[in-house]
Amino acid sequence: MTERDEQPKPIAHVGFKAALLLAALVLLVAGSVVFLLYARGVFEPTQRLTLVADDSEGVVVGMDLTFAGFPIGRVRGVELGDDGKAHIHIDVPKKEARWLKQSSVFTLVRSFVGGTNLRAYSGILTDPSLPDGAVRTVLRGDSTEEIPKLVASVKELVTNLTALTNENSELAQTLANLNAASARLNGQRGVLGMLFGNERDAQRVVTTLERTNALLARLDGMSAKADTQLFGERGVLPEARETIVQLRGLLNETGASLKKVDAILNDAQAIAGNAKIATQDLGALRTEVETNLRKIEQMVNELNRKWPFAREVEIKLP
Amino acid sequence: MLAHAPATAVFTLMAHNAWRWVIGWWRIVHFGAVVGVLALAPGSYSRRQQHEIARHIVLDTAPVLVWFTLLSSLLSLVIARIVVVTALSYGLTQYALEMVVRVLVMEIIPLTAALFVAVRCTLPHGEELAGMRIRGDLQRLRERGLDPLRHEVLPRAVAGLFSVALLSVLAGTVALVLAYLATYGFTTWALDGYTRTVGRVFSPTVVVVFALKTLLFSLAVVLVPMGSALHDATRSRISAEVRGLVRLFALVLLIEAGSLAINIL
Repeated sequence: MTERDEQPKPIAHVGFKAALLLAALVLLVAGSVVFLLYARGVFEPTQRLTLVADDSEGVVVGMDLTFAGFPIGRVRGVELGDDGKAHIHIDVPKKEARWLKQSSVFTLVRSFVGGTNLRAYSGILTDPSLPDGAVRTVLRGDSTEEIPKLVASVKELVTNLTALTNENSELAQTLANLNAASARLNGQRGVLGMLFGNERDAQRVVTTLERTNALLARLDGMSAKADTQLFGERGVLPEARETIVQLRGLLNETGASLKKVDAILNDAQAIAGNAKIATQDLGALRTEVETNLRKIEQMVNELNRKWPFAREVEIKLP
Repeated sequence: MLAHAPATAVFTLMAHNAWRWVIGWWRIVHFGAVVGVLALAPGSYSRRQQHEIARHIVLDTAPVLVWFTLLSSLLSLVIARIVVVTALSYGLTQYALEMVVRVLVMEIIPLTAALFVAVRCTLPHGEELAGMRIRGDLQRLRERGLDPLRHEVLPRAVAGLFSVALLSVLAGTVALVLAYLATYGFTTWALDGYTRTVGRVFSPTVVVVFALKTLLFSLAVVLVPMGSALHDATRSRISAEVRGLVRLFALVLLIEAGSLAINIL
C-alpha cells in the first residue's frame, strides 16, 4: 500500500460546500439567539410593576403574570425590600398594560400540584390605567398554607366543645338548673314555686294576694259610701251649689254698691278740683292784701317822717 | 511469603492499572490542550490546511446531516407525542409543552448529536489515526518535517467539533418546530404562547449550560477517541477503539450529570 493509494478522493467545490455549512451554522445560531431574545421579550417596550408580598415562596424569575388566563407580564426579579417584604418586579409589555387598571387586584396562588401563579383581576375596565412603576400589594391564596390554620382552629373548637360538654362545665350546670326549674314549674306552686325557690315564700305571696283582694273589696264599699256622701240628696255637692248661687247674688249687690262709691268718689274729685282753684284764688288775694299792707306801711312811715312831732331818729352805735 | 506474594502482585497490578488510567486521562487532556493551541494558532490555517479542514468538514457533516435530521425528527415527534398525551391524561397540559422543550432540546438532542458524530466520524477517525500510528505513517510525516498533529489530527478535530455543533443546533430547531406541531397541530394561534414558553424555559442560565454542555460533548467526542488512538500503547486497534469508547461514554455521562445538577440548582 503506497502513499498514492491512500490519497483520498477529491471533493468537488469543497471550499464552497464547507462555507455553506459554516454559514448554515452561523445562521442557525444567530437565528436561535434572536428568537430567544424575542421570546424573552427583550425587544418589547415594557412598563414596570412592583408587587409586594409577605412571602415570595414559589415566585421565580421568568414566571408569568396572567390576566384571564393569558400571560401579560413576566417576573424580572424578586428582592427583599427594606420593609421586610418581598418585592416582585414585573415587566408588562405596553400593549398588554391596558388590561391593568388602578382598581386591579393581584393574587399569588400556590396550588398543590404545579407551580405558583401570579394573577391579575380588573373588575372595572373603564378605570384609569395603571401607571408605570406602580407598586401594589399582592394577595396570597395558598391552599396548603391554610391547612395548619384550619387544623389549629378545629383543635381550638374541639377543646371548647370538650370544655362545654364536660360534667362540671357551666353548660352542664345550667342544664341541671333548667331541669330543676322545669320540675318546680310542674310542681304544686307552678311558676311561683320556681320563682321563689321555696314553698313558704310562695305561700306568703298567695296570702298577700288574698289580703289584697279583701282590701280591694273594702275599698269598693268605701267608695260607694263616699259617693252617697258627696253626690246624694243631702250630700255636700248640692249644698255647695246653693252656697255658690247665694254668693253670686251677694257679689252682684256688692258690684252695685261699688258703682255708688265710684260716683261719690267722682263727686269728691270734683270738689277737690274746686277747692284747688279756690286755693289758687286765695293765693292771689293774699298777695294782693300783702301788697296793700306794704303800701299802707310805707304810707304810715311817710307820715311819721313828715309829722313834726316825729321822734328823732338817731342811730346809736354800740 | 507464599501467602503474601499473590496479594502483592494484585496490589501491584491494581496500582499499575490505576497509574495507566491516570496517565491515559492525562495524555488525553494534554492532547486536547495541544490541539486547542494548534486550533487557535494562525499558522494552522495555511491554504493547504484550510482545504484539508474544509474537506473534513464536508466529509464529516454533509452525509450525516439529512439522515441525522430525519432521525432526530422522528425521535422528537415520538417523545413529544408521548409527553403531551401523558400530560393530557393526567390533566397537566400547561406543563406538557415546557417539559417537551426542556427534555428534547436541552437534554436529548445534544446527547444524540454527540453520540451520532462519535459513532459516525470521530471513532472512525481515531481508528484511522491508530492505524497510521501503527503503520508508522505519522513517524514518516515527522521525518519529512511535517507535524502529524497539525496535518492529520487538527482537520479531523475541527470537523468533529463543527459537526456536533451544527447537528445539535439544527436538530434542536427542528425539534422546537415539531414540538409545536405535535402539541397544537397546524395552526398559528398558539405561536405567541409557545414563544413565551420557549422564552421561559431558556433562561440565561439554561442557555449558558446548554452551550457549555454542547461544547463539552463535542470536545469529548473529538478528543477522547483520537487521544486514545494516538497515545495508548497497544498493538491492537480493536483494544484502543474499545478503550476510547469506554472513556467517551464515561465522560459524556459525567458531563450530562453535571449539566443536570447545575440545572437543578
